[in-house]
Amino acid sequence: MSLKTARILTGLYFVAMTYFVTWPGLLPFSRIRPMVLGLPFSLAWIASWIAGSVLVLYLLDIVEKRFRDAGSDG
Amino acid sequence: MEQWVVVSIIIAAYLAVTLTIGLLAGRKSTDTVAGYVAADRSFGLVAMYFVTGASVFSAFAFLGGPGWAYSRGAAAFYILAYGAIGMAPFYWMGPRAAALGRKFGFVTQAQLVVGRFPSRNLSAMIAVLSLVAFVPYVTVQMRGAGIVIEAVTDGHVPLWLGALIAYGIVIIYVLKSGAMAVGWTNTFQGIFMVVIAWTLGLYLPYRLYGGIGPMFEQIAEARPDLLVPPGLNASGDPWSWGAFSTLILVSAVGLMMWPHLFMKAFTAKDDDTLRRTVILFPTFQLFLIPVFLIGFAGVMFDGAPPSSDFILPYMILETHLPAVVVGLFCAGALSASMSTGDALLHASASVFVEDGVAKYKDLDERQQQRLMQVIVLVTGAIAYYFALDSESSLVLLLASAYGLISQLAPPVVAAMYWRRATTLGVVVGLLAGVATAFFFYMNPELKPYDMHEGILGLLVHIPVLIGASLLTKEQNADHIEEFFS
Repeated sequence: MSLKTARILTGLYFVAMTYFVTWPGLLPFSRIRPMVLGLPFSLAWIASWIAGSVLVLYLLDIVEKRFRDAGSDG
Repeated sequence: MEQWVVVSIIIAAYLAVTLTIGLLAGRKSTDTVAGYVAADRSFGLVAMYFVTGASVFSAFAFLGGPGWAYSRGAAAFYILAYGAIGMAPFYWMGPRAAALGRKFGFVTQAQLVVGRFPSRNLSAMIAVLSLVAFVPYVTVQMRGAGIVIEAVTDGHVPLWLGALIAYGIVIIYVLKSGAMAVGWTNTFQGIFMVVIAWTLGLYLPYRLYGGIGPMFEQIAEARPDLLVPPGLNASGDPWSWGAFSTLILVSAVGLMMWPHLFMKAFTAKDDDTLRRTVILFPTFQLFLIPVFLIGFAGVMFDGAPPSSDFILPYMILETHLPAVVVGLFCAGALSASMSTGDALLHASASVFVEDGVAKYKDLDERQQQRLMQVIVLVTGAIAYYFALDSESSLVLLLASAYGLISQLAPPVVAAMYWRRATTLGVVVGLLAGVATAFFFYMNPELKPYDMHEGILGLLVHIPVLIGASLLTKEQNADHIEEFFS
């Protein structure tokens, strides 16, 4: 994957996250059931976006590192 | 032996260990401003992770978070949501700021802004703004420490004395050892808090309700309004989506603008350390969930604490845990408070002296360090005064500070990324943003859609910065080139 694509995808993830944890993106998920691992759905929903962000940043780092090692800063 | 005596002994032991670590740490850094402020740019991944993590696990999250979960339900979820969003841009901004720091010798974020937009008045504005925002933040931490100690010692050690002892110790090691002490004590305290938070957060729901699921089932039955965002407001009525959403946004924007966090870009050993810290940062947000569970465990519990900020110590005491556990918990909560408070005191002094006083008066290294130590004491004293006096909740105190600190974002971003920005544009934008935020802070009933005053400030700030920059003469091309190459 090119550096630019990785950066755009990462940016999109965080834009989407911002949308889905605030109004109006959170509205459809602002409910109690189904409970996930004993947590109300809304809490599990927000927690999943946080967990996802660790993964997305980690993947971004792999791509960024490859380009840094190759000596170009993009 | 009575419970509160056992608890006090454990707390005393814990405080002694923290003080020792803090004092020993100082022997590792050089006796210079760069050593005191930026720990000689030497922090590795572990220290960086816990120093930034400690900002999440503050008294605000540790006591205020459960307090909100208990009294306002899902409103507390905002505390989880903003961290990951706010930290992500730092993956790129951090190393960029660090490179500029190495090139020009910056140790504070105002130096970075003023390096690009030369104006000592701008520097002083940023210093004053940071300091004004820091005071409520430190107040939150002190009050938190006092609350915990008062609650678990059955009032034998009152809030004023508890806060005084805990922060007396913080001030001693910050004065003595600077950034290095903050790094090492935070690592110790960070590990301690995470362990305590998970143990109790998982144990209490099991003990009281037979599990996390059954606990939420009971709450869903009796108080479903608590489990659906945006939750409730302070008076127990449904909260507005506008306030919930903009509080997430302003906290995300403000998060990395806190000088004690932004300055970590200058403390890190290398860029990879910074990047990995950003990647791992959201894990701290997840560590908070068990702490919230303790707050939720209080909802269906008979009896109520004197104020919702007391819910955590209240639950610990009312469930008759062994004294040793109570003591350890208390030390964990103190960790949360002190590890944030030390970083705040340290940063406020660094900023005030480096960016404020030193711009107007020539000081040598020794005088600068001396003055920083005086400021640590003064900030501590002011915050202490408010900590005893304060009526409002921990979370609300901090939310108001975010309105101010988020106004630093446009100047910092413009300095690093927008070539066409001008000094006048940045100054006028900052003034407009702060004035707007202040106006709506004083007149909350005028806020459109109940939006946070910090966001309203930014909505004025950014267009003014752009407009005024475009209307004024471009900066000298050589200057810009030097900054961007």
